[in-house]
Amino acid sequence: MSDGLAVDGGVAEAERPAAALLASERLGVRVRRVEGAPVVALRVWLRSGARVESIPGQALVAGRMLAEGTRRRSWKRIADEAEARGMILASFGGFEVHGLAIDALAQDLELALGWAAELLLESVFPEDRTAWLARQAAAELGSLADQPEIKTAWGFLEQLYAPHPRSRPVQGDPASLLALTPDDLAGFHRRALGSRVLVTAAGRLDEDAVERRVRELFAALPPPAPPWPEPAAPAGTEPRRRLVAVEAEEQAHLYLGHLTVPRRHPDHAALELLAVILGSGTGLTGRIPTRIREREGLAYSAHAQTLAGAGLDAGRLVAYVATAPANADRAEQGVVEELRRLVEGGIKEAELDDARAYLLGREPFRRETARQWADLLAEAEHYELPLEDARWRAARLAELDRTAVEEAARRHVRPDDLAVTIGLPEGDS
Amino acid sequence: MRRGTAEVDVLRGLPGRIGVERLGNGLTVCLLENRQAPLVTTALWYRAGTRDEARGQGGTAHFLEHMMFKGSPHYGPGEIDRRTQALGGANNAFTSHDATAYYFNFAADRWGEALAIEADRMAGLLLDAEEVASERQVILEEIAMYDSEPWDALEMAVQRRLFGGHVYGWPVLGTAAELEAIGAAELAAFHGRYYRPDNAVLVVGGDLGPDALAAVERALGGQPAAGRGRTPVAEPTYPTELVRLERRKGEVPRLLLALPAPPGGHPDHAPLHLLATLLGSGRTSRLHRALVDEGQLCVWASADVSESQGPGQLTLAAEVVPGATPAQVEAELLRQLALLAAEPPAEGEVARAKQLALADWVFGHERVHQQALAAGFALALFDLDHLERELERLAAVGAERLLETADRYLRPERGGVLGWSLPRSA
Repeated sequence: MSDGLAVDGGVAEAERPAAALLASERLGVRVRRVEGAPVVALRVWLRSGARVESIPGQALVAGRMLAEGTRRRSWKRIADEAEARGMILASFGGFEVHGLAIDALAQDLELALGWAAELLLESVFPEDRTAWLARQAAAELGSLADQPEIKTAWGFLEQLYAPHPRSRPVQGDPASLLALTPDDLAGFHRRALGSRVLVTAAGRLDEDAVERRVRELFAALPPPAPPWPEPAAPAGTEPRRRLVAVEAEEQAHLYLGHLTVPRRHPDHAALELLAVILGSGTGLTGRIPTRIREREGLAYSAHAQTLAGAGLDAGRLVAYVATAPANADRAEQGVVEELRRLVEGGIKEAELDDARAYLLGREPFRRETARQWADLLAEAEHYELPLEDARWRAARLAELDRTAVEEAARRHVRPDDLAVTIGLPEGDS
Repeated sequence: MRRGTAEVDVLRGLPGRIGVERLGNGLTVCLLENRQAPLVTTALWYRAGTRDEARGQGGTAHFLEHMMFKGSPHYGPGEIDRRTQALGGANNAFTSHDATAYYFNFAADRWGEALAIEADRMAGLLLDAEEVASERQVILEEIAMYDSEPWDALEMAVQRRLFGGHVYGWPVLGTAAELEAIGAAELAAFHGRYYRPDNAVLVVGGDLGPDALAAVERALGGQPAAGRGRTPVAEPTYPTELVRLERRKGEVPRLLLALPAPPGGHPDHAPLHLLATLLGSGRTSRLHRALVDEGQLCVWASADVSESQGPGQLTLAAEVVPGATPAQVEAELLRQLALLAAEPPAEGEVARAKQLALADWVFGHERVHQQALAAGFALALFDLDHLERELERLAAVGAERLLETADRYLRPERGGVLGWSLPRSA
């Protein structure tokens, strides 16, 4: 099913593998002036994340620990000084990156830049804070497991991705979290600092001055470190079913799907159009919500995606329906039939036009605020794609005619190859 | 959104100009010019919500919100979403106890379709019996979804108990039995009574042309007024002591304390908002320090005050970490409230809370869509100056005023509901 970044269907022309991108520049800086509210947004992304961690939960806690103390200031002082200025300072660890997100009033730009550098380059990992943040993350897992939709989703991801790191929650598991040491976190962060650092800034600012200042502040990056070994590409799974016992009130949660492609795959744009046609667009449009909710009244939540989680690793086609347990079989059958109809019956020109119009129409809404621009620039740099360029995006969508999209559907939508996970109320499962 | 003479300098930096007109049929129209992006949001607010429902027919307002997408004279079932998507836009709607709002986000060159849709469904709905029956099933699934989510389920139980039989304690979605009592006739009656121009506020915000008001007048100016006011909401009978409530759900202990609070327009609302910020916003807040970062008893803790037209509630919530006990968390939470009601906060703490609240306001109004919804909310429930007045009051609050307010509202022993969602396995 999978041959690396080009997943299934024999598509071999995936763009450059991610590892080759790392060498291009140690410090990537992107700055954009945004008229609007008097605010600035900074993002610092280090390429790392749960996909390369050796201890489950390591990336999440390492990222969060960036705000827990530096050589100059304790976590309390950081919080006190940031909040006295109304600054929103978040440090995070995700699946592909860890880093910082700082949103500040424009008058505090210089301060925010200085803090970003300090938190990133002078972070310390105090033992007591490590223990507390690990305990907090373990507790989050318990809380999330109480939500039937999420607990079922975990079962679904495990089915699709195991043994790839995507098969587990980004928090890892309680045992691995509680065993984390400050050295585990400091080492992880140091290694990420030795690869590639992305800094983006947007808002009411002077672009040239901010870029100069960022390059000054981050001039002293540590020496390069060897990149982490890439995780083996997820292998996918044979079609199979899994039941998960959840504490739901008279409701079954259905996830159906399979792996598709990574973010840089040439068929990504075609799959975005197919996602809208299936059920990721406005309101209740799309074939799956129309059938499951509008026509048959089976569910409040019914939607579909073709690229959920697509990044450096393959994303997934996923249809989700929450329905009464007695209707679960009917809902599942409806989803499978809609997927089959898409592959075998193709799409209508009008559907394609609407899907394209929808995706293009959404573009201005992704570029309204400083925070959106800072995120978009970071994502663009991370994937080395000109995502911020609306013309590039329009051209990618415009070049796809009905035949091309139908061919992509036949390559990437496989109704006979679905993993099915059903969360059922205890007693029904 | 700031357009006047507020004391708070940072607000002067927000872009845009705002104006309010009233059409001959009573429709309030707010034009919010903001050219930061080539976008337009329309937000149509009806002064109709759960509080306007008949006893035994709870959920009517929300049911009608769903049916507004299920067929009107020129837009068949599902057609509104299809047209929205074909034009590259987005839409949605929401219902509260006080109001129901519908919004569209479009590129600036095609937002006129939103007016056509709103005019069509304000004029009348098809309310086909089969569509009504099908949508009832959808809402039953929505109820099941909320009932399954531990926080939503706890919040509904606590709110019901705090407000007693008052409409603010009714669930917005209604109950399964109530939904059975609502059919096309009931929905049509509710629509006919409340979905009239003189009971509505339309905000058009974004990159507007010079003929925006004329376009609104053409589309909606011919809708007949109802000429009927809304029934005022009665005062609830809050508990006069701290009522305890326990549920068993999930594996994590969750605490929700709800206390009576004043309406959104009351002079005490801004100081109470600041108290909630001081208690629960940011890592330096009292609850966060006592329960999370220093006390290490909870994963998180929060405080919030509702902003309703009638009486409201202050809620404090926390989720307990393994190893800590519900009794420890409850005792510490109550201790923090008692401290705040006994001694004025330090000036530095007050200043920090103000700065956080103001920054939160700015970050929450960056997008045209957010600005349009906020203006509609203010005009539908209060008046256009409500947001600015609230911020000015907040900026003027001092430590003594906070102490007075805390003494008035942060006294659980004088009445409130303390709800626990406890592990089933305990």
